[in-house]
Amino acid sequence: MLSYIVRRLGIGLITLTLITFIIYGLIRNMPGSPVTQELSQLDPGKAISQEDYERILKSYGLDKPWYVAYGVWVKNVLQGDLGRSFSRKRPVTRLVMERVGPTLLLSVSSLLLTYLLSIPLGLIATARAGTIEERTGSTILYMLYSFPSFVAALFLQLQFAVRMGWLPLFGMVSDNYDSLSPFGKVSDVFWHSLLPVTCYTYGSLAYYSRFIRANMQEVIRQDYIRTARAKGLGPVRVLWHHAFRNTLIPLVTLIGLTLPTLLSGSIIIEQIFTWPGMGRLFFESIRERDYPTIMGLTLMFSVLTLAGQLLADVLYAVVDPRVRLEDK
Amino acid sequence: MTGEENVIDPQGEPAPTPAGPQLAVIPKSPGFWKEAWRRFRIRKLSMTAFVFVVLLALVAIFSPAIAGTKPIVVKYKGRLYFPAMAYFNASWENPIFTQDKFRKRYPKNLEEKDPESWAIWPLSFNDPYRRVQEEEWPGRPGNPTQVDGKPSSLNWFGTDQRGVDVFAQMVHGSRIALLVGFVSMGIASAIGIIVGALAGYFGGWVDTLLSRVIEVVLCIPTLVLILALLAIIEQVTIWHMMAIIGATRWTSIARLTRAEFLKLKQMDFVSAARATGVGPIRIMFRYLLPNALAPVLVPITFGIASAILIESSLSFLGFGAPPPNPSWGTLLSAGRSNYQLWWLIVFPGTAIFLAVLAYNLIGEGLQEATDPRLRDADG
Repeated sequence: MLSYIVRRLGIGLITLTLITFIIYGLIRNMPGSPVTQELSQLDPGKAISQEDYERILKSYGLDKPWYVAYGVWVKNVLQGDLGRSFSRKRPVTRLVMERVGPTLLLSVSSLLLTYLLSIPLGLIATARAGTIEERTGSTILYMLYSFPSFVAALFLQLQFAVRMGWLPLFGMVSDNYDSLSPFGKVSDVFWHSLLPVTCYTYGSLAYYSRFIRANMQEVIRQDYIRTARAKGLGPVRVLWHHAFRNTLIPLVTLIGLTLPTLLSGSIIIEQIFTWPGMGRLFFESIRERDYPTIMGLTLMFSVLTLAGQLLADVLYAVVDPRVRLEDK
Repeated sequence: MTGEENVIDPQGEPAPTPAGPQLAVIPKSPGFWKEAWRRFRIRKLSMTAFVFVVLLALVAIFSPAIAGTKPIVVKYKGRLYFPAMAYFNASWENPIFTQDKFRKRYPKNLEEKDPESWAIWPLSFNDPYRRVQEEEWPGRPGNPTQVDGKPSSLNWFGTDQRGVDVFAQMVHGSRIALLVGFVSMGIASAIGIIVGALAGYFGGWVDTLLSRVIEVVLCIPTLVLILALLAIIEQVTIWHMMAIIGATRWTSIARLTRAEFLKLKQMDFVSAARATGVGPIRIMFRYLLPNALAPVLVPITFGIASAILIESSLSFLGFGAPPPNPSWGTLLSAGRSNYQLWWLIVFPGTAIFLAVLAYNLIGEGLQEATDPRLRDADG
């Protein structure tokens, strides 16, 4: 197992280098540079001299060709330095630290909700398989699964924020946040997060409960379930203790694969709700041509994706003794 | 995903399980695809979705006849013209109307310049690119703008901020949705099938190399890669978007093709073909691909849904083709700038949802109709 993990880590490192190299090359070849973006925001009459321009380029390390600059970036990353954001003049690490909280707030609460709701839903669907309610429920869940989250976000905003006025339209906190009591602050964030959390949850809820139902359907045809029923166990005990436990293995793989989405956030949902999270940071940094931030986030997402895949494979071997990790 | 029982001989007919002795061969059993179609047809939801997609395609093809300000057929100065075709390609507008200074205003000009003329008009007299002015059509008021543009008998789905009819934009936008789905997935399937076929058939270092490439593309978050690629292009058009979506969405197709080829190339009919001297290219595309096609079609169908989704979300974020571009996502983003105009969110949003749902349902139906494991379960 250890040699397998080491081998996978080695391959992952190569993949990582390739990804960052490609993205670095792409973003450095985008039209416009952070310098021009910044200047256009200043007074347009204040055109700077060619010397100043070159001085700025040099201080940002943009005077070198991109593949050389990539080498510099890698060297800095290996020393634990992700660089400073061009547009925000702050270290990328600190920017990420600020934005990761709001994203985690949404993704973790949505993940918990998903598990809390989808397991009972999936089990009920199995218990009632074939009945009218179950079919209707499954069809509705399937429709929810196909419902694009950004359309849902707009519909929810329209209904609950604009028409009914029950919930805030966007943002994470109200304007008077600082003057609120500690309890008021918590409830303020809670009300603001309701709609985004719903948008995050409903799709994965539909996906997970369908997933659980599909796996359960396979398991309850097994002989040991028939044995359990035959020896007189109640339906709840059969479903929960005998069947559901054996569907946990595929669920474990899913957990590994959700790891990157926990931190990456959703660009479009955060954009719609102007939620100050990671997705929005990425969106803004692309617009501002903020190379260090784009690279820092790309690196983080790719590491998480690869780690998630590795985790899924390793967990799979841990929970299922029949699976052996070998070199192909 | 598919079972090991997926044993199909090169003629594309399902064979009995490999080990069992073949006792009796039923003469002329229905072909694989005919059988799959029969199984697909009995699934009501998938069939409804299929009908919906066909309808959508018809709307897209006949969009200039459904909504527009140019006549479908016109008899002008003794000759027949089809000015509505200009909605497909601006250069198809018959030159005579430019010479006669119509300036894209047909109803009045036709009457003034040739009282003898007659014309067949689209169902809804509205233009997807501009506001219809007052008296442009005799007796018809101009399109309302901003909050006055509620759905009405003249503007079925309302009008946007500038007074452009939403229904017309959606009808013409269905062309984009349809094209994006098929063109980008066409590109993705071509790349995915070729990469997967090469990796699966040759194995060895070719496989190692291509698998690494697949992994790299797979690990870059889709939206990140697409945004980075889009940012490089100076003037983004809808064709660029299709190419980019196609160039980034091929990994699942490649992985599936590879897995199918790895499995299929062990079969006796491949060894037989090789022994008779058939070349590798011919084996890959004439012998293996037809047998691997059914499972590969499923991710392609789901891919169409996701391509439509990606295009509309990019247009929504403002990264799409520049206006005038009647994409459904562009309409949604116009709705977001003023929530009072609920019709700008509800109608295009529903259209995107239905299109995505339809392709997902078709994909689902296809999967259950062609996957032998599921077939055996109900057969």
